[in-house]
Amino acid sequence: MTRNNHLKRDRNFLLLSFLAIFFFVACQKQPVVSFGTSFVQNNNNAKIVVADTFGAELSTLYLDSINTAGTGTMLVGKYQDPDFGIISSRSFLQLAPPSTIPTISNFAAYDSAALIMRVKKGSYYGDTTLAQTFTVYRVTDLYQLPYQQFTFYNHSQFAVDNANPLGSQTVTIAPNASFTTQYAGDSVKIKLSDALGQDLYNKLYNRSDSVITPAKFEYFFRGLCIAPSPASNGVIYGFSDSVTLRVYYHEPGVFLTNKFIDFGINNPGQQFNNIVADRSTTDPIKKLILPTQKPQTPPLTPSSLTNGVTYIQPATGLSTKITFPSLRDLRLRPDYLSVLRATLTVRPVPGQYSTLYKLPPQLNLYLTDRNNLQSSPLQGQSGVLNGDLVIDYLYGINTAYTYDVTPYIQQQIALTTVNENGLIMSTPSAVSNTDFSRVLLADKTFPVTQRISLKIYYVSLYLTP
Amino acid sequence: MNKQLTTLFIFILSVSSSHQLLAQGNNSPYSILGIGDLEDNFYNRTSGLSNTGIAYRSGHYLINNNPASYSGLDNQFFAVEMGIRGSVVNYYGQSVTPGQNQSGDITFRRLALGMKLSKHWGSSIGLAPFSTQNYEFSNPYYIAGTVNEIATSLYQGHGGLNKVYWGNSYEFFHHLSLGVEASYIFGTLSQKENLQTPNGATLASTSRDINMSNLFMNYGLQYYGKLGKKWTFSLGGTFANQSDLFASSNITVLNSDSVALKSQELSQYYFRLPNSFGVGFSMTKDQKYTFLGDYKHQAWSDQKYAVDNSNYGLVNSDRYSIGFEISRNKTFYNTKVEKSYFQAGLYYATSYLQVYGKQIDDRGVTAGFGINSFKSPLSYSITLQYGIKGTQDNQLVQQRYANITFAISYRDLWYTKGKMFY
Repeated sequence: MTRNNHLKRDRNFLLLSFLAIFFFVACQKQPVVSFGTSFVQNNNNAKIVVADTFGAELSTLYLDSINTAGTGTMLVGKYQDPDFGIISSRSFLQLAPPSTIPTISNFAAYDSAALIMRVKKGSYYGDTTLAQTFTVYRVTDLYQLPYQQFTFYNHSQFAVDNANPLGSQTVTIAPNASFTTQYAGDSVKIKLSDALGQDLYNKLYNRSDSVITPAKFEYFFRGLCIAPSPASNGVIYGFSDSVTLRVYYHEPGVFLTNKFIDFGINNPGQQFNNIVADRSTTDPIKKLILPTQKPQTPPLTPSSLTNGVTYIQPATGLSTKITFPSLRDLRLRPDYLSVLRATLTVRPVPGQYSTLYKLPPQLNLYLTDRNNLQSSPLQGQSGVLNGDLVIDYLYGINTAYTYDVTPYIQQQIALTTVNENGLIMSTPSAVSNTDFSRVLLADKTFPVTQRISLKIYYVSLYLTP
Repeated sequence: MNKQLTTLFIFILSVSSSHQLLAQGNNSPYSILGIGDLEDNFYNRTSGLSNTGIAYRSGHYLINNNPASYSGLDNQFFAVEMGIRGSVVNYYGQSVTPGQNQSGDITFRRLALGMKLSKHWGSSIGLAPFSTQNYEFSNPYYIAGTVNEIATSLYQGHGGLNKVYWGNSYEFFHHLSLGVEASYIFGTLSQKENLQTPNGATLASTSRDINMSNLFMNYGLQYYGKLGKKWTFSLGGTFANQSDLFASSNITVLNSDSVALKSQELSQYYFRLPNSFGVGFSMTKDQKYTFLGDYKHQAWSDQKYAVDNSNYGLVNSDRYSIGFEISRNKTFYNTKVEKSYFQAGLYYATSYLQVYGKQIDDRGVTAGFGINSFKSPLSYSITLQYGIKGTQDNQLVQQRYANITFAISYRDLWYTKGKMFY
C-alpha cells in the first residue's frame, strides 16, 4: 500500500465524519419553547405604553362664505333640523338659447311651457316621505358676478320676481329609487306660465335676436330661481344641473305633430345654490360666534359656549377645529422615547344622529394653524384618511370615525416652536358644499366613552440608575 | 507540509473564525439565567469517557481537563486539536409546543495547540467555550394602558463567553506534575426583546449587550506511578479560585426602522465565578484497559448571586463521571504505539441553577472511537453522547439531547534545530 492510498483513506474518513455530523443535524426546525416568561418581567426593557388622556379642545369653526357655484347639483328644499336650525336652499341658474331653432311654419301653434329637472339619485337630506312644492321664479337682476367677486357663494342671490312665480309643482320624490309621483321617471316637471311660454314661442317663431344671440338672450331672460315654497318643510333634494325649459307647440298637417324646443342651462359654472341656515331659534347653535368684520379669519366658537358640543355641516359653513394643547407633555414623561402609533377616535354625540339626520359617511382631517384656514387633508398609507365610519344604531356607543394619525402626531410632538396647530374636521371637499349630512361632537365635559380620544402608543423606557 | 494538511489548516481557521457553523443554535431555555449554560465538555480525548480526565495523562493528546497533564506530552512533538459538535435536542414539558420540539446545530467547540517546551515542561494554548446563551420565546401581553389590546414580546438571547487559555505544567520527580492554566474569559451575552404586533411585525426592540471579561486561574496536579508490573495509576486534582467577571452592558432601543431611539451604557457590575475543585483517578492495565473516575464541585451558593425574583437561584453544582477505555496497540521497535481506541462513560451532574425549586440536573452516557493514523500525522475521534437535562416537573422543560463530536488532532515533530533534551 502506498502512502497516497493512506492519505486517501484518511481524507475519506474526514469527509465521512463531517457528512455524518451535517446529516445528523440537517434540516432541523427550531422548537417552540415558551419558557422563561417569569424571568423577563422586570427586565427594564422598552415597553409599549398607551396614553389616551390628551384632552381635545373643540371649537366650531364658522365659514361665512361657501363656494356653491358650478357644483353640478341644484339644491332645492327646506327642512328643520333639531340641532342645526332651519336649513333652506334655492338654486339659481341661467338658461341658454337653443343652439339651432327649427323652422316653425305659419300653421304651428304654441301649446305650453315647462321646466324639467332631473333628480340626482341619492342626493337628498331630510324626510323624503313629505311632498315638496317647488316654485320657479324669474330672476330680475342681471345674472352676473358682483364687483370683484369671482364665484358665487352660499349667500349670493339675485332679486327675483316674487310676485309672479312662473310656476309651481308639488311632488313626492323617491330619490334612491329615482322616481316621482309625476310618473315621468326621475323628472320633475313644473308647468310654467303661458305668458312666458307664449312670449318665448313668439320670439322663436319670429327668430328674434333675443333668442338667437346669447348676449341678448341673457339680457332678455336673465335667469331662473328654483325655490322651495315657504311652507315646505322636511327635505332638501339635489337635482342635476341639466335643466331644460321646454316650449311645446304643434305643427298641423296630414298628421298633427307635437314638437318642442329646449332651452338648456347656460354656463353650468355659474349655477349656484343659495343656502340659508336660520339658527336664530335653535339653542345652543344660535350662540355661534359670527364674523364681525371683513375680512376676518373664520371665527371659532369654543365648545363651552354651545353646551359642550361642536358642529360639523360644511354646506352651511360649520366645521370643527380640534387641538391637543397637552400633546407635547408626552415628551416630559421620563420614560418617553418615541411615538409608535397614534389613533384618533371621533365619536358623534349619541342620539343626535339618525337615519333621517345622517352622519357624513366620510370626514377628513385638514391641517390648520392659528389662522383657521383649511389646508390639505391628512394622508394615510392608502390615500386621504376618511374616518372609516362605523355606525352603531343599536347602542350608539360604538359609532365612531377612526384615524391613524401616527405621522401627524410624530411631527407635531417633535415641533419645538409654539404649537397652535390643529385639525379641522370636515367632509371631503368634493361633497362639502352639496351634502347636508352633519355631526355633533362632544367635548371633555361628556363621559369618556363619548369623547374624542387620541390614543398614543409610545415606546417607554425606564432606565434604572 | 503536504496539500492535505494545508487544506486542513485552512478549514480549521475558517471554522474557528465562525464560532457557530449554523446560523441558529439550539434553543437552551435555561440559558436565560446566570451567564448561560456552563460548558462541561472538553471535546478532546476524554469526550468518549464522559469527559472524565482529571487524572488522565497522554503523550499524544492535549488533555485540557487538568493543566497538569501537559507535562506528559511526548518530547519534541507538537499537537493541534480541534473539536466540532453536532447536536440534536428534543424538548419536553408543558411549555413546549408539541410537534415543534426539536432543534439541531453544529458548533465549533475547541481549538488547542500544545507542545513540549523542554523535557519536563509541557504547554498548551487554546480557545474553548466557557458558557453559551441561546434562547428564544415569545410572550403575548396586554399593552400597558389598555384592557384588550395585545402585543407580543419576542425574547432572544445569544452569545456566550469564551476562554483563551495558556496552560503549563512541569513534572517533578517523575511522579508529580503541577500545572497552572491562565485564561482570559471574554464574550458578549446579547439579549434582545422585540416588541411585536400579534402578527409578528416589529414595533421596537431593546438590545442589551453584556460584555464580560476577566482573567481566570485554574490550578492542577497529577500524581502517577506504577502498581506492580501490569498496572499504572494516576491521581489528579484541580482547583480554581473565585474570580470576578467584569460586566459592562449597553442598552439600545431601536424603532421599527432600526433607528436608535436610545443607546446608553449602563453601570458596570461583577459576576463572580466561585471556588471550584475537582478530583479524579485513573487506573490502567497493560497500557490497554483504563478505568477513570472524576468528581467536580463548584460552590455557587456561596456567591449570594443577586436574585431579582424568587423563581430561581444559584446553588452548588456537582458532577460525577466514570469512564472506561480500551486501546489497541501495535509494537514498533519495542515501543507500544496506540492504533485505535474505544471509550465509554457515564455522567451525572447537577447544574448551578435551581429553577422553581428544582435543581436542573444532567445525566447521560457517552461512547467514543478514535484512530491514530500511522502514515499521516492525523488522529480522529468520533464521540456519541446521549443525555437528559432537566425535569418536566413544575412546568420546567426537559431536554433530551444527542451529540456527535468529531475531534481531529494533528501531531508532528517540532523543529528543534537538532537540539536534544535527552
